[in-house]
Amino acid sequence: MNTDHATIDHAEDIKHFVFEGKQKTTLLAFIVLGILCMVGTFFIDSNRFWTNYLHNAVFFLGMSFVATFVLSAFMLAYAGWHVVMKRVWEAFMLFLPVGLIMMLLVIVGLWMHGHHLYHWSMDGIADPTSPNYDKILAGKVPFLNKYWYTFGTLIIVGIWTFFAYRLRSLSLREDEEGTTDYALHQQMKKVAAIFLPIGAFTSAALVWQWVMSIDGHWYSTLYAWYATASWFVAMLALTILILIYLKSKGYYKAVTAEHLHDLGKYMFAFSVFWTYLWFSQFMLIWYGNNGEETVYYNLRRHEYTILYFGNLVLNFVLPFLILMRNDTKRKYGTLGFTAVIVFFGHWWDYFYLIKPGARLNALHAHHGAGHGHEDAAHGAGEAAHGAAGHAAEHGADLAHAAGHAVQEGTEFAMGFTIPGFLEIGTFLGFLAFFLYFVFNRMEKAALMPKNDPYLAESLHHHV
Amino acid sequence: MKKGHTEVLYGLYNDEEILLDAVRQAKKEHLDIMDVFTPFPIHGLDPILGLAESRLHQAGFVYGATGTCTAFLFMTWVFTRDWPIIFGGKPYWSVPAFIPITFELTVLFAAIGMVVSFYIICGLGPGVTNEVLDDRITDDKFCLAFQTNGYSEDQIDKLKSFLTSTGVEEIGAKVI
Repeated sequence: MNTDHATIDHAEDIKHFVFEGKQKTTLLAFIVLGILCMVGTFFIDSNRFWTNYLHNAVFFLGMSFVATFVLSAFMLAYAGWHVVMKRVWEAFMLFLPVGLIMMLLVIVGLWMHGHHLYHWSMDGIADPTSPNYDKILAGKVPFLNKYWYTFGTLIIVGIWTFFAYRLRSLSLREDEEGTTDYALHQQMKKVAAIFLPIGAFTSAALVWQWVMSIDGHWYSTLYAWYATASWFVAMLALTILILIYLKSKGYYKAVTAEHLHDLGKYMFAFSVFWTYLWFSQFMLIWYGNNGEETVYYNLRRHEYTILYFGNLVLNFVLPFLILMRNDTKRKYGTLGFTAVIVFFGHWWDYFYLIKPGARLNALHAHHGAGHGHEDAAHGAGEAAHGAAGHAAEHGADLAHAAGHAVQEGTEFAMGFTIPGFLEIGTFLGFLAFFLYFVFNRMEKAALMPKNDPYLAESLHHHV
Repeated sequence: MKKGHTEVLYGLYNDEEILLDAVRQAKKEHLDIMDVFTPFPIHGLDPILGLAESRLHQAGFVYGATGTCTAFLFMTWVFTRDWPIIFGGKPYWSVPAFIPITFELTVLFAAIGMVVSFYIICGLGPGVTNEVLDDRITDDKFCLAFQTNGYSEDQIDKLKSFLTSTGVEEIGAKVI
């Protein structure tokens, strides 16, 4: 509000982030904890390890993608308010190739038959003579196969990486040689404009491959939106937490309550957007009452009740009620508290997306030709469908009656029914690794961009 | 103060920065500002004037919650008591099916309620005519107004010289 303030702050602001030894030690300790947890999980239950690994790799890679996407979108929308803190998002987006390397382990596991995350990856899935034959998945084999998975991931994340690094190098060059005709900014805009449609379409394809294809029989057309919204809210929450932390260390004096207020509004708005998708996906399937589709929710609502409703409480009820007021978005305490809830909540959301399906897939794989489970579940869904006049909720009872479809592989299991200590440890390890990388990249450039045309606007930002 | 009985002395400024300085100066000299009129919202004006935060959004929450309850309870009543119909094999009380309409009514009630409240607070509405100090304050002039009922010539002269000292473009007086 007071224009003089911002200028003074800017002059006094510490220009370079120093990644202190103490911070490194703490983060490294958490990374070691994460590795220990993963190794431990691997020996307890390899399926639990693989699901945890995929869960965290996709979650952090996705946040990195969303950071690239949002920076590009803001640039094209002539947005200025975020410029003062754009180096945080730049550091996020540089994580893309690291995320790709993480996904390589999943790909290696896919080729070596090291895991059973995806039922479609089984041998003979499209061969009618094979005991593994699955009629529905056979029809999806042109897309759900190892080649698509491998080269899709490599090429698409490779393309994202190219754009992210291009944007970063232009942004750094602007610091050094930026002129008042803003030629470099124009160049960045072109890069962003090309990236936006590419990123939008390709991310959907990768989400289908990485996460949605775990429940191979099932599909939802708004799934990619849902998953991306989840990434976005998580990314905003982490940004808020990092900014509050850095401010407490004396950096970013020019980032004021005004900027955090806007980030808080984004977090609020996209929590609601996420809920809108969460609900829309459910309601259409519930109303359609098509057995192939309802089986997904039947499993989650009735066998993973804590996961299912916990998801809604963490990601909608709490942020909605806390962030609705104006002042809660401006107080660092409440905003940071909500950011912690929401960040954990969207991690929980991916847990919920991955675990129930992957657990059944592993069960099928271990039973050899035992994909009867899903068929039975399918049949149960049909039964529910036929029973007009009965509540959809009664479908669960019918499913129980129709066969032991839902019961087997859904009894309480730590790390599947709810996240256990090993999952939390793995999560903290990945988070520490992500933060280590981000802080390391933030150290490599000035905290605030120098010649960005919107810098002054951002310094004087007032909502 | 009844309409048509408020004596106002006002100064018109060309730029919001000059106006902000003038308002700050007036506050410093403890002058009793009646109001400030600007063609667009000026960042930072409210705290200088010492205006409390609007409570309109709190009213909005109440309207929205009313909408939520109205929609939900009404549908519940219709589909369980008044005229139960089975749709697509769903139970009578199908909460997911009620959500979209509940959402819409929440938004509708909040929006209409807030607009109406805003109009009432500001004394606006169909058929209402309000005297404007100067037509140009809706275009490009920034106005600082003092109420001068019962002021002596001396006091008014003082206000005028204050306005002049702050770089005012025009000074006017009007009874509204």
